[in-house]
Amino acid sequence: MLTQFEHFAVTEMMGSADSPPRANGTLCFGSDWERTSFGIALALAKEGYFEWDDFRDELIASIKAWEDANPSDHSSWNYYEQFLTALESAVVKTNLLTASEMREIFDLSNQTSQ
Amino acid sequence: MSERFKYREDREAYSAARVRALEALLIKKGIITDRTVDTVLEFFETKMGPFNGAKIVARAWVDPAFRERLIADTPKAIAELDLPDGMAGAEGEHMRAVANAPGVHNLIICTLCSCYPWPVLGLPPYWYKDPTFRSRAAREPRAVLAEFGLPIAEDIEVKVWDSSAQIRWFVVPERPAGTEGLSESELETLVTPEAMMGVAVAKAA
Repeated sequence: MLTQFEHFAVTEMMGSADSPPRANGTLCFGSDWERTSFGIALALAKEGYFEWDDFRDELIASIKAWEDANPSDHSSWNYYEQFLTALESAVVKTNLLTASEMREIFDLSNQTSQ
Repeated sequence: MSERFKYREDREAYSAARVRALEALLIKKGIITDRTVDTVLEFFETKMGPFNGAKIVARAWVDPAFRERLIADTPKAIAELDLPDGMAGAEGEHMRAVANAPGVHNLIICTLCSCYPWPVLGLPPYWYKDPTFRSRAAREPRAVLAEFGLPIAEDIEVKVWDSSAQIRWFVVPERPAGTEGLSESELETLVTPEAMMGVAVAKAA
């Protein structure tokens, strides 16, 4: 039996800079949007819309940029904020959504979250 | 650059709104459905994870004959249980259980690779891949276990099992004292991934 994609994808991340938060052997989500971000990214890679490794490169770069900008104080760190940033970048780069559609998402989110 | 990481007061709500809008648009364009996220997460939440190992161990606690079969032929014994397909898959097929007993404590490590029995134990903790943990656990398991808050008495033998591409080990911890009246499903809740790695013991709730 072949290893499932879900298994492969997460195993690849273990011990790496982008390994996701986990507790007691399971993925650990602080809220529903974190869980949804993870599910969307994994599903899109599983369906072949982008390579999981390419997504991970985005994520690792996003994490690195955050760390460089916050060299000493990590109190505001949230893994899934970088994950979401990488996902938004991946869907635009692969033309699933256009840049203007992504701008609309940001505008809408700005309005609804205030 | 600093502007990019300047945090807004409503960052939780803002992230949540972005994900909601992104999911809605991907659904509208027919790229995913409203079931996609749950389907993907089901794999981690209900199919493959430490809850499977907990079921195996709890059965071994209530059924001594099963425990013997589990040690003698682990995949065959696991196949007796009603666990999700794939338990005997790529990661599970070479699984071997070792049982703690009075006088013997088992610890599983993996010095060379990423051989972790995921279908049974779930995702490995951060420290499991740490080279220091791996080399020290092989060299001085008692010292490492003591640091985990599990000092092992001198008269108890510590056996270290190093997983490889061929064999992935997991530990059947001892059933905690004072759990005689518990049902099998209540016992499952006492089995932690750490206990199945041998860096902890199962404790009564």
